[in-house]
This record gives sequence, C-alpha cells and structure tokens, in this order.
Amino acid sequence: MTQTDTAVRLEDITKRFPGVVANDSVDLHVERGSVHALLGENGAGKTTLMNVLYGLYQPNAGRVVVDDEAREFSSPRDAIDAGIGMIHQHFMLVDTMTVAENIALGNEPRKWGGLAVDREAARREVVELSERYGFDVDPDQTIADVSVGVQQRVEILKALYRGADVLILDEPTAVLTPQEVEDLFGVLDELTDQGKTVIFITHKLGEAMHAADDVTVLRDGKNVGTVDADETTREELAELMVGREVVLDVESTEPDVGETVLDVDALSVLDDRDVPAVTDVSFLVREGEVFGVAGVDGNGQAELVEAITGLREPESGTVEFDGREFTDAPRRERIDAGMAYIPEDRQERGLVMDFDLVENGILGSQHSPQFASEATIDWDGARAHAEDVVEEYDVRPPNADNDAVSLSGGNQQKFIVGREFERDPRLVVATHPTRGVDIGSQEFIHDRLLELRDEGRGVLLVSSKLDEVQGLSDRLAVMHDGDVMAVVDPDDVTEEELGLLMAGEYPEGYEPRSERDAAGVAQ
Amino acid sequence: MSAADRAHDLLGRLVHASAFERFLISTSALLLSVFIGALIILGAGRMTDCASAAYTIAVPGKFVTQFVGGSAVFSMGFCYDPFAVYDLLFLGALGDVLSNPLNGQFATTLAETTILMFTGVAVAVAFRADIFNIGVQGQLVVGALTTGVVLAFVAPALAGLGLLATVVLLPLGLLLGAVAGGAYAAIPGALKAYADANEVITTIMLNFVATSIALFLVSREKFFKDPASFANQTVPLPDVALFPKFLFRPRDDVSLLAFAFAVVVLVGIWYLLQHTPFGYDLRTSGLQPDAAEYGGVDADRTIVSSMTLSGALAGIGGAVYVLMVLGNFQTGVPDYGFDGITVSILAGNNPLGVGFAALLFGVLKSGSIVVQVGSDVPPTLVGVLRGLIILFVAMPEFFRMIGRKFGSFDRPSEPAVADATGGGSDE
Repeated sequence: MTQTDTAVRLEDITKRFPGVVANDSVDLHVERGSVHALLGENGAGKTTLMNVLYGLYQPNAGRVVVDDEAREFSSPRDAIDAGIGMIHQHFMLVDTMTVAENIALGNEPRKWGGLAVDREAARREVVELSERYGFDVDPDQTIADVSVGVQQRVEILKALYRGADVLILDEPTAVLTPQEVEDLFGVLDELTDQGKTVIFITHKLGEAMHAADDVTVLRDGKNVGTVDADETTREELAELMVGREVVLDVESTEPDVGETVLDVDALSVLDDRDVPAVTDVSFLVREGEVFGVAGVDGNGQAELVEAITGLREPESGTVEFDGREFTDAPRRERIDAGMAYIPEDRQERGLVMDFDLVENGILGSQHSPQFASEATIDWDGARAHAEDVVEEYDVRPPNADNDAVSLSGGNQQKFIVGREFERDPRLVVATHPTRGVDIGSQEFIHDRLLELRDEGRGVLLVSSKLDEVQGLSDRLAVMHDGDVMAVVDPDDVTEEELGLLMAGEYPEGYEPRSERDAAGVAQ
Repeated sequence: MSAADRAHDLLGRLVHASAFERFLISTSALLLSVFIGALIILGAGRMTDCASAAYTIAVPGKFVTQFVGGSAVFSMGFCYDPFAVYDLLFLGALGDVLSNPLNGQFATTLAETTILMFTGVAVAVAFRADIFNIGVQGQLVVGALTTGVVLAFVAPALAGLGLLATVVLLPLGLLLGAVAGGAYAAIPGALKAYADANEVITTIMLNFVATSIALFLVSREKFFKDPASFANQTVPLPDVALFPKFLFRPRDDVSLLAFAFAVVVLVGIWYLLQHTPFGYDLRTSGLQPDAAEYGGVDADRTIVSSMTLSGALAGIGGAVYVLMVLGNFQTGVPDYGFDGITVSILAGNNPLGVGFAALLFGVLKSGSIVVQVGSDVPPTLVGVLRGLIILFVAMPEFFRMIGRKFGSFDRPSEPAVADATGGGSDE
C-alpha cells in the first residue's frame, strides 16, 4: 500500500427491491492500491452493492464517490468511464476470437480515418499491457484453446484495457483449481503493486483472509464490520457473517460400513456432444460411508452422476444398485428403489420454477403412495411435507406457498436438499449440496449428511469444494478429464496433492489409480 | 432505455403478471377493441350513402339519438351507429332473454359455446404439456365421422327401445368420438415422442388427411353416403340416438344436457391436471422438461398420452357436433378446431377459463348473425369487429406464452435471484 487515499467510497447506500432491502445504508471505504474482500453469505447483498458501484443498479439513497468525486452512474458505461471495471463470474468472451481481439472488442483502435480496425495496434497494446502486469498470456491464441484461469486473466486485461483503476471481481475463484487460485492471487498482488485497486466478492473465509488487505463483512444487507485481514481470525469472520458462533470443521467419525449399495463398473459416458466425458470408471459405495468425488467442474463428474441417477444413458459399463442391475433402469425405478439425488442444476432440474414449494416438494414422489392415494394427489399431505422441509432446513422466507422462482439460490438449494434427505433413501447422490448455501445452513446440511451415513445409508458426494469433500468423505476419488486419477484417504492427503491430482498430475508416491482403487475398497 | 429493452421489459412483466393483472389486461383489451371497432364503424358509415343504406333497421340510432343528439351526427353522414351495432353484437346473442330465455339466438350461442368448450380444452391440455396441437380440427372431424357412421349402423336396431336406446347410444356415440379422436391424435404424439417429428407440421398435415378421408367416404354411396340425399352426408340418425332437446324449441340445435356435460368435462380436466399424478407429470413436462425427467417422468409416454387425451376431447367435440347439431355427419365441418386454439389462448390454457372464453366466442358468433340480420352493416365489417375483439383479447396471453417459452425473464423484483446468479453458484 503505497498510498493511503480512498479510491472508492460508498456512503449510506440503500437499495430496495419490492419487499426486500438488499442494501441497508451500507458504507464502504476502499483504499487505493489495496485488495478489499467483500465477504458475506448468499443473499447478504454483496453482488447488489457491487452492481450499484458498477452502475447496473441505481441506489434508492446514498452516494457513490470515486476519486473523491460524487458520481451518479446510470449505466456500466458511466462506471467504466470513471475507471471501474467488473469481472463477472461468467466470462463474457467470444470463444472463436483470439485473446487480443477479445480484449480490444468494442474499443478497437481505428485506422484509415476510422474505417478499419487496426489489429496490429490492438495486439501491440495488449502485449504491452500483459507485460506490464506480468500476465502470462499469448495474445494470438483463441479463447477456446486457453484454460479457465487464462480466460479470467483475459477478462482482467479487458477491464485494464478500458482504463480501469478499480477492478471488481465477482466470486473469482469459483471456477479455478487450487493452483490457479494461487496464480490469481499473485496477479492481484501485481495489480495492487502498480497502484490498481481490487474489490473481490467471496463467501470463503480463507480466501478473504489470504488474499485481501481489508475484509468488509455484509450480513442481511448491512455492513457489520471492516477488519484488517492480518489481524482477524476465521472464527471472528464466521461469527460476523452468520451472527452467531459457528463450528467450522466437520467432525467426521470412523465409518461403520456395511453392504455395497452402489457398484459402478467400467462405466463410460458420452457428453451432449457425443464426446467421451467419463471413461472406464469403477468404484463402490457402501452402506454407512461417504464416497467423495473431487475435481474441477467439467471433468466428467456431471455425466458420471447423470448416468448413475438415470438421466443419461451410459455408453458402456454397468451400474448396480442394491445388488440389482440398474444400468438401463428408468429414472422412476431408481427413485422408487431409494436413490435420492441432489442435482447440480437446481433451477433446471431440481425445481420447477413456476411451481410453489408444495408442488415442488413431491417432485419425484408424485406417484409414490406417500402422496398419491388412489390416483389422486394428497395435497394436504404434500403441504405438510413441504412445510416440514421448509421449517427444518430453514428455507427463507418460510412460506410453502411461494413459487420456487422467488427464492434465492441458497434457499432453493436448502429446499432440494431437505426434500431429498427426507426421502428415506438407501443412497444419497449429492452434487454440490451446499453450493451457494450460507455457512449456517452448510453446517446443518453437513451434519444431516453424516447422520444419514451413520444410519447406514450410502452417500456419493460430488463437490468441487475441497474442504467439503475432504472433510466429509471416508474415501475420496479425484477425477480429471473423465478418469478417476486416484482414490485416496482424505485424512492422509494434502491439499497440494489433491490440487495436482485434480490438474491431472501424479504427485510423488502416487501410483496410477487401479492399485489405489483396489486398496481403497479393501481398506 | 432503448425500444428493444422496453419491449423486453414489457414482455417480462406480461410473463409474470398475476391472475388479477391478467383479468384487468383482458378487460381493458376488450374495451379498447370496442373503442377502435366503434371508430371503424363510424368510418365505414361515412363511406356509405345513408339514404340507400339505412343505418340500422332494428334500432335506428337509438343510443346516439338518445345521448349525443344522433340526428345531428347522422346528418353529417355517419350512417352506422356503433352503439346499436355493439348492442346487437353482444346482447343480440342472448335474444330477448328476459321475456323468453329459451329463444333461438340464445340456443345458437349455447350450441357454439358447447362445442368450443371441447375443442378449447383439447388445445389447452396439449398446451399445458407444451405441445402445440393444431390438429384438433382433424381430430374433431375423425371423431364426428366415426360417431356418425358407426351409430348409423347400430342405432336403427335399438330405435324401438325409446329412452333405453338413448341411455345406450348417447354414451356410445361420445365414446366412439373419443376413441377415434384420441387414436388419431396419438399418431402425431408418437411421431413426436419417438421420431422427433415436429407436432405442428404433422398435425396440420393430418388435418388435411382427415378432411379428405371424410369427403372420400361420405361422397360415395358404396361407402357411407346417404343415398336419399344430394349432399355429402351420412344417413340421418334416429332421434333416440341424439341429445334430447328439452326446454328449447325442437328446431333449435342445442341441448342443455350436452352443455352440462361439457361443463363437467372442463371441471374434470381441471381436476385431472391439478390433483392427479398424471396431471402433475403433464404440467411438469410442459413447464420444465428437465425437471420432469429428474422427477421420474417418462417424457415420451407423457407426450403420447397428453396428445391422446387432447385428441379424445376433440373427438368428443365432434361427436357432440353430430349428436346435438347435425343429427348425422356432413362434410364441411366449421372451423371449431382452429377456433379452439384461440379459445385456449384466451383462457390462458386453463380448463376452467376455457368455459368463459368459449362463451365469449359463442356470443360473438351468434351475435354477428344478429348484426347481419338486424342491421345494414355489411357482414365483412361484422367479421372485422369480431376479429378485433378476439385479436385484442388473445394477444396479451399469446405474447405471454411466447415470452414464457422463449424468453428468459428474471423477476425484476427479486434481488435474491440477482444475487444467486452472481454469487449463487459460488464454489
């Protein structure tokens, strides 16, 4: 921190939506040349606040001050002109264009009196820019050919190219491997060294403490405190976020395993473009254990799970459930046999957005005798069921008559988790069960998951959150490029080793998976 | 904000409109269409010669004369009186209800309404499963043909039994219509489910097939043509096979029994959709196919069964047309199936709403006959007025359906959703 003046000052920002106060007189001071983390649970108002700063929303009250000058942004265009850049979670890049073209897109230097794009000049500027900040980016590669981490750097360069002094990153680590996360934090350091200011939105305590200079915590739309990252603790931040004390570490006891519930043998699955997504994967899930699958998103986990749950036809191999061949069984048979499934895509799969929670509560069991007696759905029973789930899983707002679409992502997730857990399942297939869920509810979901395990049900847990899979799993498979790299004991493995395996490399002392797999099963 | 953004916003608001908002939209659309229609009537009246084309024969200038000094208006050359025309269009359909509730006009209104209820709900059921069944017309023709032909063979044998024959023949006729219509609709259903054939194309083509087959069979004496008639029609069915026409005059082709049956069917379909697992599957597939698949719904089977149900309802409509209106099968069936599409859209694809939308259609249809008979306004102009009303009332619902299907509209009032897309999938 070379300077101590304020780059961005938000004063008393209030942003109301009908029925909700998303930001309630929030103050935020961001020092020039610092990395400032905006930490909070889902729905705490982090993204809303940053959208106000970026000109996407106009606040109902309060002032935005940039470079000691009060501004009114009516669109992102105004914010960009004031030197603010935002990198969204979903990159806005054109896959078929080169890095340099993407960066210059919309602001291309012109030649011949504005008639043509000066590609050379654009490329030169991009090279110069990436050299200045030490970015390892080849300007001539097409976006489709570079990794997600590089794409993110291209997004950052794009903002710098447009003259950004203040960079807002929305959940920048969501899509990265642990190594890429480290690289990103290196980039952020380089940026601040050269006088840029970074604000990043996160709900991960560790990241906020590790990468930021200052951490501002939002809760229920209010600023509940700004702390110095070096002087705070995980416990303090967690308490600020949730408003009560939180047990952070999952207490996983030794499993008491029984019969095999799920037996996946030599399974190969194609993705939507008929490209092999899963190749020759085998594993077992037994009663009373959590079998974890770790990996960076998009390495075949989604297709693997869909093949197991009956949403996708496998190319070859078999799936046995409860000792019965289920490879080609229709989805409904699997549900009836006791396979609960928390899908990855809650808004497309897990919930019917235009149904209320009562109707959504019986999705999957609409034919089961629990709710459908004599060809008529027992809506009273369904209502009672939905209200139970809403209460027990702390779905907010606590009203079963709300349409699913009106709930925030985290609350949608809680409802799905509750519905699936309460199915009395033999096997729970949980993909990202706590994605987007606040840490208070995360703790509850984790506890319930372990309770189910201790009741002797099998759990297949897929998550890209390392601490989650590592903490909950009894055995942990690491997937890379459609293949299980290794099945490891989560208590013995280090985060670095996991990171390497997720990136497709074997750390020292690791053999190819077949032996490990056998050892894992036999342990 | 650009025009495109505004249009997008408007469409988004339409998609998320509440039931009450939709009612207000429909009502104001109706009033607006009447207002614009009134201007057209005045304009048309200006272009005719008042001397030769008297403004209205039945009620000459009643309202205008009364309220705004009509004589002055007419001396300026506006020959048609919009008040009188709309009076005839809406109230003419009811006839002289107060003194004689069972008059001929009201009978026509009720008969039209009854058949449109069946075709409307047929389209609605398919729409709810996200299937565009344009083949209701063809399914109605097939149902009507089957009922007319089979009953012509069966009925004479039972004709002597009186009421007992009616108790047997009437349900049989309806069942025949349902089975034939359902089977005919199952074809495009199966083609869509198992061969990925677009149902819009197949159902339109099958409409032509149905009409042509009906014409072929009913125009040849060696098949089903009535030898005693010059027209292309089947043998008239005995009265015991038809819907009993109590209360109304015998020459009015309407039956309160059929109307009551239609109401029961609408309520039954509503119950089926809302309260049975099958209805749940159907609605889920229509709203979100991926979620339906997740919930264990067999997508292919649902497509076939909802098409079959839709076709069966259309077929019953055809049977009712034969058993209530015609008394046999005749070629040249009116476009009940196509009107059913509009009725369904008007009703927001809600089976109960179909009843009211069908009534509006019935009123407009018999009302426009009254306008033609009772005034000098040309029939084409009456058609324009009818079309205007339907267009205005149906358009908002139509755009809602389109927007729902193709647009992605986050509720503008949900910050939680905004936050979820930004920070929701945070890993």
